[in-house]
Amino acid sequence: MILALLIILPAVLALTCYIIGQRSVALRKLIYNFTLFAELALSVVLLIDVLSNGKAEVFLPKICSMGVGFEADGFRAIYVLIAAFMWAMTGLFSNEYFDGHHNLNRYFMFNLFTLSATAGLFLSSDLFTALIFLELLSFTSYVWVVQEESNEALNAGDTYLAVSVIGGMVSLLGLFLLYTQLGTLKIAELSSAAASYGGSKASLLVSGILTAVGFFAKAGVYPLHIWLPKAHPVAPAPASALLSGILTKAGVFGTAVLTAQIFVGDKKWGYVILTLGVITMVLGALLALISVDLKRTLACSSMSQIGFITVGIAMTALLDADNTLAARGVSLHMVNHSLIKLVLFMIAGVVFMNLHKLNLNDIRGAGKKNPLLMICFLIGGLSISGVPFFSGYLSKTLIHESIVEYYAMNPSLAIKAAEWLFIISGGLTFAYMTKLFVCLFIENGEGVKPVSLNKLSKFAIGISSAVLFALGIFPNFFADGIADRMQGFFSAYAENVTVDCFSFENLRGALISLVIGALAYMFAVRKILMKTSSRGTEYVDYTSKCFDLDTMLYRPLINIIVGIIGMALNLANSLVDTVSALVRMSALKSLPLSSPKKHSKFSQWRKSMSKENMILSSSLSYGLVACGFGIILMLIFLLARA
Amino acid sequence: MPSYLLLLPIILPMLSGIILFVTRPKSSRAREVFVELSVIINSAVVLMLLLNRPQESFEIVRFVGNLTLSLRIDGMSSVFAGLVAILWPFATLYAFGYMKKVGGENRFFAFYTMTFGVTVGIAFSANLLTMYLFYEMLTLITTPLVAHEMTKESIRVALKYLCYSIGGAALAFIGLVFIIMLGNTNDFIFGGVLDMTELASRKNLVLFTYVVAFCGFSAKAAMFPLHKWLPEASIAPTPVTALLHAVAVVNSGAFAIMRITYYSFGTSVISGTWAQAVVMVLTIITIIYGSAMAVKEQHLKRRLAYSTVANLSYVLFGAAVMTPLGFVGALTHMCFHGVMKICLFFCAGNIMEQTEKNYVFELDGLAKKMPVTFACFAVSGLALVGVPPLAGFISKWNLGTAALDSGNPLAAIGFGAILISAFLTAIYIITIVIRAYFVSPQPDDGAKYCDPKFSMTFPIAVFAAGSILCGVFSGPFVMVFERIAGGLF
Repeated sequence: MILALLIILPAVLALTCYIIGQRSVALRKLIYNFTLFAELALSVVLLIDVLSNGKAEVFLPKICSMGVGFEADGFRAIYVLIAAFMWAMTGLFSNEYFDGHHNLNRYFMFNLFTLSATAGLFLSSDLFTALIFLELLSFTSYVWVVQEESNEALNAGDTYLAVSVIGGMVSLLGLFLLYTQLGTLKIAELSSAAASYGGSKASLLVSGILTAVGFFAKAGVYPLHIWLPKAHPVAPAPASALLSGILTKAGVFGTAVLTAQIFVGDKKWGYVILTLGVITMVLGALLALISVDLKRTLACSSMSQIGFITVGIAMTALLDADNTLAARGVSLHMVNHSLIKLVLFMIAGVVFMNLHKLNLNDIRGAGKKNPLLMICFLIGGLSISGVPFFSGYLSKTLIHESIVEYYAMNPSLAIKAAEWLFIISGGLTFAYMTKLFVCLFIENGEGVKPVSLNKLSKFAIGISSAVLFALGIFPNFFADGIADRMQGFFSAYAENVTVDCFSFENLRGALISLVIGALAYMFAVRKILMKTSSRGTEYVDYTSKCFDLDTMLYRPLINIIVGIIGMALNLANSLVDTVSALVRMSALKSLPLSSPKKHSKFSQWRKSMSKENMILSSSLSYGLVACGFGIILMLIFLLARA
Repeated sequence: MPSYLLLLPIILPMLSGIILFVTRPKSSRAREVFVELSVIINSAVVLMLLLNRPQESFEIVRFVGNLTLSLRIDGMSSVFAGLVAILWPFATLYAFGYMKKVGGENRFFAFYTMTFGVTVGIAFSANLLTMYLFYEMLTLITTPLVAHEMTKESIRVALKYLCYSIGGAALAFIGLVFIIMLGNTNDFIFGGVLDMTELASRKNLVLFTYVVAFCGFSAKAAMFPLHKWLPEASIAPTPVTALLHAVAVVNSGAFAIMRITYYSFGTSVISGTWAQAVVMVLTIITIIYGSAMAVKEQHLKRRLAYSTVANLSYVLFGAAVMTPLGFVGALTHMCFHGVMKICLFFCAGNIMEQTEKNYVFELDGLAKKMPVTFACFAVSGLALVGVPPLAGFISKWNLGTAALDSGNPLAAIGFGAILISAFLTAIYIITIVIRAYFVSPQPDDGAKYCDPKFSMTFPIAVFAAGSILCGVFSGPFVMVFERIAGGLF
């Protein structure tokens, strides 16, 4: 009941919002905010219900012919709660941010539709339902990306939609294969079906990877990350916060389901995911480091953090039965990253709302006179960098710990390399967050007005940061509680696995990381990425010079393919034309079947030909002439013989 | 119900058409009331017959031996007749508004209404001979509709349509003759009517005949290489393109193919032979070809027409899989595609009629001026792409399950083609939606456009809602299709 309500309520109120918004803006705001808080309240009720009564389930047969099913366990309930919380906070912030913007009815309608789809995805109890909501999510969130209707926004929207649609199609193909192989798509039945699956493991792996592609696309895993750095800077800030905080997690959710239910203990799957995760993690961090756009940096950072999470998921697959640490790390890092990005993107939104600029050179010192903003940014930045006593520290340590654990069981160079790349990426995170912090709160910019924000926005940012701070400062109370509820989702059932997070071993990893980060900031950022000129020091934009998969590879590739297909199509078309033209010129001479188009060369030729042949305009006379010609030839031949 | 009532829904529209011809009402009000009433009554009769179907068949004429003209309702005819009966009243309502600007309404509505009867005749035919008769009648009676504007171009297109259709029917005639010769009967019996003892020595001949008949009927279903008439016929008034060239005519081609495959030749004979491979390859080529051409085409109605070419081949592909699941997929897509495509065409008609813009690149920013039209276009367009949980997704899911379940490698390739085509569909539909909604209009285009009046927006709203509801509440539909495909209904 409550499950269905969580999904239906926002969808119904979305339409209401749109219709009422045509008449009264104030009323629309009221309904919008009411929806968000009603959803938040519902998700709290759901969590309490799940904690006290265990799983909740509902199956709606015959809907969409296969029937859709929803269930709630610890992981799902917590994630729906986080989603609702993020929506509520961004909703509060939207009130100020969207002042004076256009097309808001549309935005809010699709915002609520996306909330509905997100809730549906996290609550889905089978992959069929998950796919339905994943696709809905892609289309409804597309509207966010193009909200501003600028050329960049449309361009980014194209990339986003293309990646989503292709991902969705490939996932659909994978799902078909999985369905024919396993005979079920119910998440709860997948693991037993996979265990008793008689066919080859390799074919299962193929269909698993195909299914995962759509989810990778949503999560922003390499090489489908291309939409992240494009879409975030152009989307409105509250939307960016949700795109990066929650929508990427929708992708992670699918990957986690596949890993936990089908591929636990599957080494090949583990290594595939690990490779993708490591590439995403390192690439994201590097891109974030060289970026000079505030929101783009945060977007690349999201990509990098998704890489961390993906590495953790790979570890849950590789470690098989001992995957509790990894599962807890992934759960916590997902939660942390959602909240961190909520705070950071809202702060970026404050900057943009005041200055309408995002280039780091134009927003220096924007937050100087605003201690609340500074503290909140600090909490977010320190958390994401994994500084001890902040929330990111615990989750990163757990994932790191699980890599170390796997290395102890199975020492190989690759795993060691992955561990070091993990630490280095952590360091780079610290470096680019320092860069942002210094730029926004320490440096002096010429002619940059200090930013201001109203009480409601302060409240939204403050509460979000407070929650984030509480998560980190009381690890045993909040974090362990969350991890206990969530780990079961990753097929990790060991109990009472607590790590002494402040032991020397664990602190050392974090410290190495921070030292690397500090060095990277001192040398890479200050020496290479900043140049001193007559106008003072400036951040130099290297992003345009660097290899961008989308513009350098994907789009030209698509153009080439389209060109080839176009040629083939023209050929096929003119083949049919030629046949009909031949028939027309001989047998059906008098029947005016087709008039040639003006612009085709071939038809021009045909036209002139038919003009010249006006004499032969009937097939009878044509035939007679041909016959006469033949007789003349024969005569000549006979004469020559004689 | 007594079985002679089966004749009623075929005679009624014919009569109203003739009355329209004879009386030639001057006032449009009187004509509209008369046409709409007769169509609604006829739809009601059809639906009544479907719900209380007469069990035995009704024989109209008996020629020699077992050659009869007779009518009967079975599961498949219920699906096709039901689809047509539901869509027709709305399409007529739409046509009133649209034809005001085109003119020649008496002639138009006379033929338009008569087509209803002929289409129901195809659906209700009890044997191949009867179906062939109505099939030819459909060609003849729709030709004046294509040529309605009587310009040089439209007459040329109508002649082209006539040539393709009659040529196709000539090929189909070969199939008819062979079924009469080799079959026990030419009635439609689920599983086929071929005489197995006759068959053994002439297997290849029968298979060849099947391919010929398939290609013949496929001319109406616009399968490559006999598809060319459909995109060109989009010159006809939109109600014709929408109802006839997206639903009634093309679906009667698909319907006929399903009839000969499942009810005359029988899947047990064809399945697994080279004949199946040939027709399946043709449908796969058409699926890709039609979608790719639609992407290439910039004229709005022609783009939709190419999309119909591709989508009808989904149906034919489902039929060519020749398993019960494939049959289910084909029936699902036949119905759902009808609803989605008629909506898209009507939206295109609204756009062209209100703004006189014919090309995709002229549609920038129009959505804000014509919100209802474009909202319906977006919904049914996304449904056509196959966005879950809308109607197109369900039919694609059914076709996909059928293709992979059949274990035929060619069917798996076909499924790949459907996915590629779905992607192409996304391109050619979503580009329109994006242009209309998110691109700002050209500055020199200050003209005021608005949604047309109620009679033209109401049908598209109903169809758009239909393409959502057909998807979400598809359970009962698919259950009916499954029973038909099992030969139970």
